[in-house]
This record gives sequence, structure tokens and C-alpha cells, in this order.
Amino acid sequence: MVSLKKKKSKEAEIPTGSMADIAFLLLLFFLVATVIDVDTGIGLTLPEYIPIDEQEVVPLPKDRLAALLINENGDVLLNKKIIAIPQIKENLKERITSKINLPKNKKLVVSVKTDRKTNYNLYIQALDQVKGAFAEVREEYSMTTYGAEVDELDEEQTKDVRDKIPIIISIAEPEQIK
Amino acid sequence: MKFNKKRASTKQEIPTSSMPDIVFMLLLFFMVTTTLREVDVLVQFKLPEAEAIEKIENKRLISYIWVGQSEKIQLNDNIVELNEIQELMYKKRVALPNVIVSLRVDKNSNMGIVTDIQQSLRKADTRRINYSARLKQ
Repeated sequence: MVSLKKKKSKEAEIPTGSMADIAFLLLLFFLVATVIDVDTGIGLTLPEYIPIDEQEVVPLPKDRLAALLINENGDVLLNKKIIAIPQIKENLKERITSKINLPKNKKLVVSVKTDRKTNYNLYIQALDQVKGAFAEVREEYSMTTYGAEVDELDEEQTKDVRDKIPIIISIAEPEQIK
Repeated sequence: MKFNKKRASTKQEIPTSSMPDIVFMLLLFFMVTTTLREVDVLVQFKLPEAEAIEKIENKRLISYIWVGQSEKIQLNDNIVELNEIQELMYKKRVALPNVIVSLRVDKNSNMGIVTDIQQSLRKADTRRINYSARLKQ
């Protein structure tokens, strides 16, 4: 008698033994291709563009203004006194600290002005100093009032720090080219 | 007398059956974080270094402008002229209202070109900028 038993068919299976290897290969590819570069830099908001003939000149009291001038030779003037770039921070910190408890419209305004031939790197160094001064004053204020670093403050406290020490940097209108 | 070493009855093998899962998890992580470089940078530049720098939180908002050593300006994929920036940036601003412009300027450039670009940006009303800089070591 012929056996009528069906032949037992082989179970269809995908070999999974090498799956790990394949996955590792893919993983390696993405590991190599990944660039986790975080964009870092000095943030700033430019002033609104107003045509020259519509501009109004708002006088600023002298004690509010810190005018920073950088000329093409790399000389730096802070309120008409020659100063080295690394000294900017200390100079400004004092003035910012003295204005913490003044109302909003009396805070320090730092104005940065350059020549057309000024080196860009110098400008960034100067701007860095200015930003650093503000950041350090914020840090000190936060340590003395809240006993914590700026990053650890809650929303309300952060707002208070920002209100007390606003970063006002003005990029001066470029001079007309003669 | 025979001394039979006592052997632990548990298997001394690391279970490998879940290895593919773990690897796939890692793989997924890297796939998600990878941003394949979208633009070719056509200008040569070296970024300045600074200390008081901040991270840009939202990468999707960034639009780059490169300024190279020979004062060439690149926006998106192309080298552009100074007078084209305003229009191009204005279009970007319409599409993405709070765009941040990251200025990747070579550190030996003059401020003249930076000022010119800034003026165009102000006219295009893209006023949030970021001077790209590396952390000073």
C-alpha cells in the first residue's frame, strides 16, 4: 500500500543567525555618518531697519551708555578710554552690577561700533567679553539671591534675573561711506 | 576518593537572543539623530573662538550664511552676491517667520562685509542672528 501520508514539508524559516551582524553593520554606518555637532555661537537681535531720514535720535544719558569702539588697528575704546580687550569684562561688570536695582529704563546699554576694516575676530572677541560680563553678573546675582546657578532656577526666578539684568547690546548704525 | 568539582547548575552563557533587539535600538537612535549633511560648503572659513557662547536650541530654524576667506558669500547651496541676500532672506522669512541666521564668517574677514550683510538682513527683517563661534579651549 502506498503510503498516503503527506510528506512533511520543511518549515519555512528565515535564518536569523546573521541578523545581529547585519544590524551591526547598519549601526556602524550610522555611527560613522552621524555628526552630532551642536551649533554654538553668540546670539544677537539686530535693530529694526529704519531709513536714515526717518530715524529719530534719542539721547541716552551718559551713565547708561557704554560705547565700545574698535578701529582697524585693533585699538579698543571704552567710553573714550583706551582699553585692552580682556579688560572689557571687568570694566562692564562693575557698571552692570551697579544698575541691577534701577528701573528698566535705566539699565546699561552697550553699544558696539567698528570700522569697515576692523578684523572680524576682534569684533567677536569684544562681543564675547560683553556677553561674558552680562552672563557673569547674572550668575552672581542668581547665586546671592537664590543660592543657585542660573540654569537651575525655575521659570519665575529666571524671569526675574532677566528683568534685573537685561542684555542690551546695540550694534551701531554704520557710518556713511564717504 | 574522587573529588568531583561542584559545578554551578546555571548556564554560563550570556543570553544572545535579545542582542539583535538591543542593536536595533541603538541603530534606531543613531538613525534618528543623524543629520546627513545637506549642503556642500563652497567657501573656506575658520570660525572664531569665544567663551560666552550659547547653543542654538532649535536646529530647524537655522539658516546659514557663510563668508569665506576671499569674501565670497554662500547662502543655501550657491555663492551669492551681496545685493541678492535681501530678497533671498526675505523669502525665507516669509516661509519661516522666526528664522535664526547663523553667520559663519571666517575670522580674518573685515567687518565691512559683515556690516553689509547685517544691513541686508535688517532690510529683510530677519533680525535674529548668531555669530557662529567655537568654544575657546
